Amino acid sequence: MTRAFRVILVLSMLAALALSGCAKATPAPTATQPPKPTSPPAAQPTVAPTPKPTPVTKTVVIGFTSSKTGSQEVPSTGQTRGLELWLEQVNAKGVTLPDGTIVKFEFKTYDDESNKERVQQLYTKLINDDKTNFLISPYSSGLTDAAAVIAEQYGQIMITTGAASDATYKKGYQLVFQLYTPASRYLTGAVDLLAKLDPTAKKIAIVHENDKFSTDVVNAAKAYAESKGYEIVLFEGYDSGTTDFAPFINKIIGAAPDAIMGGGHFADGSTFAKQMYEKQVKVKFIALLVAPPELKFADIGEAAFGIIGPSQWEPQAAYSEASAKAAGIQWYGPSVADFVNAYNAKYGENPAYHAAGGYAAGLILQKAIEDAGSLDTAKVKAALDAMDVLTCYGHVKFDTSAEAHGLQVAHEMVYIQWQKDASGKLVKQVVWPAEGKSADAIYPLSR
Amino acid sequence: MKAWRYPAFWLTLGLVAAAGAVVFATRSATLREEMFLLLMFVTLASSLNILLGFTGYVNFGHIVFFGLGGYVGFYLMSQHGWPLWWATLAGGLASALLAWVLGAATLRLRGAYFALATIGVNEAVRAFVNNFRPFGGPTGMSLNFAVYRQYGGPANALWWTFGAMFGLTLLVILISYLVKFSRFGLGLMSIREDEDAAMVLGVRTPNLKTWAFVLSALFPGMVGVLFFFKNGNVEPGDAFRLQMSIEIIVMVMLGGSGTVLGPAIGSAAYERLRGYLLTSPIFKNLHLALAGFLLLIIVLFVPAGLVGWLRNRLPKLRRVLE
Repeated sequence: MTRAFRVILVLSMLAALALSGCAKATPAPTATQPPKPTSPPAAQPTVAPTPKPTPVTKTVVIGFTSSKTGSQEVPSTGQTRGLELWLEQVNAKGVTLPDGTIVKFEFKTYDDESNKERVQQLYTKLINDDKTNFLISPYSSGLTDAAAVIAEQYGQIMITTGAASDATYKKGYQLVFQLYTPASRYLTGAVDLLAKLDPTAKKIAIVHENDKFSTDVVNAAKAYAESKGYEIVLFEGYDSGTTDFAPFINKIIGAAPDAIMGGGHFADGSTFAKQMYEKQVKVKFIALLVAPPELKFADIGEAAFGIIGPSQWEPQAAYSEASAKAAGIQWYGPSVADFVNAYNAKYGENPAYHAAGGYAAGLILQKAIEDAGSLDTAKVKAALDAMDVLTCYGHVKFDTSAEAHGLQVAHEMVYIQWQKDASGKLVKQVVWPAEGKSADAIYPLSR
Repeated sequence: MKAWRYPAFWLTLGLVAAAGAVVFATRSATLREEMFLLLMFVTLASSLNILLGFTGYVNFGHIVFFGLGGYVGFYLMSQHGWPLWWATLAGGLASALLAWVLGAATLRLRGAYFALATIGVNEAVRAFVNNFRPFGGPTGMSLNFAVYRQYGGPANALWWTFGAMFGLTLLVILISYLVKFSRFGLGLMSIREDEDAAMVLGVRTPNLKTWAFVLSALFPGMVGVLFFFKNGNVEPGDAFRLQMSIEIIVMVMLGGSGTVLGPAIGSAAYERLRGYLLTSPIFKNLHLALAGFLLLIIVLFVPAGLVGWLRNRLPKLRRVLE
């Protein structure tokens, strides 16, 4: 027995050593004072020591995770590229605070593997080890939801982009600010567009993916359409991963609607559109989520023609200093063309809305710091609360009510439609809202 | 109950206690988050081991208990304002109840048939939750941030959750040993060796199997509640991930099924390995394939896992590595 206990003792000591080794091996905090868990959200950033005539440079650390692996890899890459472009541009000059301090920015970023468990782990690490001053969200509503809990718990401002869910902002957060148009307004513009195109249209069929995002979108669209006097003749959900839409298409044909709305994500949306075309569904108007704004959507050929889709932003969107002036809103940042050209020069491709969202996240944070004239969390938060600005990404203003603090209230979706150019090639055109449109919508669809 | 007489009992408890204690000693939030995941997987693997290791029944749907328990607890917290502790207990009991009902139906199946049935169960419960309105359907449920104030402020709530997970891990290790060295455990192991012979010798196999199943379901249910409480929301896609079930089996097999120390070491090792693979540019998209490959290697060459292999090689360590 005594020998056995000696063995235990040795093994336990080895284990303890290994564990403390682990703790050091991972880039975890060691000697530096860990934050007291009970401490209330404190103002993290320290302002430059004393205002001196010679400019003092201060580096602000912005933390975020991106999905370099996992299901969100593609859109997340676009978002990160947008952010990197902003970083390059802002650091060329820096932001000058009233006390003469020049603020430069630095990113701390990790791969979250599109995984919620990792997101919480990494955001805790960013705040505690990397001593971030501000945070930007990961891509997708689910991951952002997980990150928002941590950001709020440690009292850091987080600009969320790539996260459209409304629910995140209705939990009582004070420091989380949304850039995307919320899911509840994804398809409401399509209802308005339909009303504008054809006042006699009355019947809408809604077929959607049975997941969180799509369900949120269609529930809101249904309520909105009904409030406008439309009849929802079909409201059906399909499981994620569905590849055969024949049962739904048969039901749509049976219900004989004027318009079809719904969809979910890229794979199911494009398959749904393709099968509707193959079955020659007689309908005047089709608006689907997520898939149509993707350039790859054109791969389904003729079936893409006439399909409408909501997008957070498009390069054709006509936001400009002049339109800001006309609407009585302040303009901030580069023009749409400057942003698109800069992005194109850096990455050799046109930015999609994920990239524009990422770029805008940096831009809005920069504007808030400028307005606040400080890096203090409370002052920057006040500046974000008061913000009402038009940028190349569109109009940005946050809800400041207690029920939905941080929810985006001003940004509008743009609606694209696949049309044909003079040479018969499929191209995306912005057809709604009217002030941003690049072409008139094709209506009714002839098939 | 003579578990405490074995050095192995103290060694395993000591290891887990050290893992938790190091977090409280350093007060490092980053380390806490890493250890939370590690202890979570230790608990999930150890609880699966009660069925898989002791009775030899392969359960591919272990994660269903994590998901359902998590959902029930979350529902009680978010819709009825229950405190975390009671909700955690309720989540565990809900999973145990599901196991009891399922056990009556599926434990009559043996071998591959039982394994196949458990896969179906996970998918069936996921589909049910996806369409069950009180649980939020496909949208799931969210917690209001104000809830965390009950626990001494939001950041403090994370410490409480970690403390609860730590306690739960110690408890599952303790229970595993108590089961292993009890008459009940002996009955379970006789089922693993030869169920028919055990039955002939008077072991009430249907009863024992059901209780083992219920016990193995209790802990993942409680883990689920803690995990989703920390996340602040729950969705069907996060709650019922079939691939996690498979990874838990790999963890048990890697460390050594049937021992208590094995699943604990296996899950810690696999969790570290997974973290490495997922961030490695070469293996990032292959981590599940590697998990499968690892399982194949273990089953073919080291069926007893790491701890079992060491026990066979070094007989002197048999009382230490149980």
